[in-house]
Amino acid sequence: MKSEQQQKGVTKTVKKVKVNKKAPVRLWVKAVFTGFRRSKVQQNENQALLKIQHVDDVSSSRFYWGKRVAYIYKAHSLKNNTKFRTIWGRVSRSHGSNGIVIARFNKNLPPRAIGSTLRVFLYPNRA
Amino acid sequence: MPAKKRTTRIGNWYKSDDEKVHFVRRRKAPRPSQLRKISPGQVLILLAGRFQGKRVVFLKQLKSGLLLVTGPFKINGVPLKRVNQAYVIPTSTKVDIKGVDASKIEDEYFKRTEAQRRKNEKGFWAKRGELTEEQQVAEKKRLDEKRKTQKSIDDALVATIRKTSLLKQYLGARFSIGKTTRPHDLIF
Repeated sequence: MKSEQQQKGVTKTVKKVKVNKKAPVRLWVKAVFTGFRRSKVQQNENQALLKIQHVDDVSSSRFYWGKRVAYIYKAHSLKNNTKFRTIWGRVSRSHGSNGIVIARFNKNLPPRAIGSTLRVFLYPNRA
Repeated sequence: MPAKKRTTRIGNWYKSDDEKVHFVRRRKAPRPSQLRKISPGQVLILLAGRFQGKRVVFLKQLKSGLLLVTGPFKINGVPLKRVNQAYVIPTSTKVDIKGVDASKIEDEYFKRTEAQRRKNEKGFWAKRGELTEEQQVAEKKRLDEKRKTQKSIDDALVATIRKTSLLKQYLGARFSIGKTTRPHDLIF
């Protein structure tokens, strides 16, 4: 069985059901959701701060501008034949000088996602 | 006053009100999106979909702007396929596609037939999904033609690929991001 389509009418294989017996292939970069963009006492839930693995400065983070990001979580009930659900978003800009990046999602990320791993895909390829 | 010239003769009938002529924006012939750093014969990495990570050979750009690629099918299981530029990473590897004739393939080749669309009908519409005798025959014919087209394009390609050492294995392998891979530093 093929994996289920997730959103937006575009086929995106999120979780690969093991049809191939070879090692799984990862086409996305790990990123940690460190929190919302905020000051000391106020936060903006529209903007999520992402620490992308191995990205340490602004020039590296530029590669990821516009790339699509997915927050994948499990729910109890079946929807679209799967218990996995996603919230899609895009990397919109850099933040600071150490490679942190701001992503905006179609629906804001839930606070319980703080500390969890997000998937930053390599598309749309702007090169 | 309407700016367009009347091509029909005005008879005895005159409009009572001044009708506004609907402004038709003159559509130029649709232009395919600009190819960014991709040339025919180049090896591309597919970034999404069923064949994500697969390395495929780019044949030509279709009129819709999508890229026509092929595995070749015998090497990595990717058939003739349309792909959007944004969902692809071009690599520096090039394959000589001189003997390959993909001129007959256009967007119409990928159009879904009625039988295809009805194939997965379930429940209430399941009856629609059942093909009649003639539809089944037509489907079979269509698939045979597809196999033939695939073969005709791939045979020339595979012959060229075999000449370069390790190119066949390269195309058969999938691209993957490992623990220490930094895509922003990679030079493809």
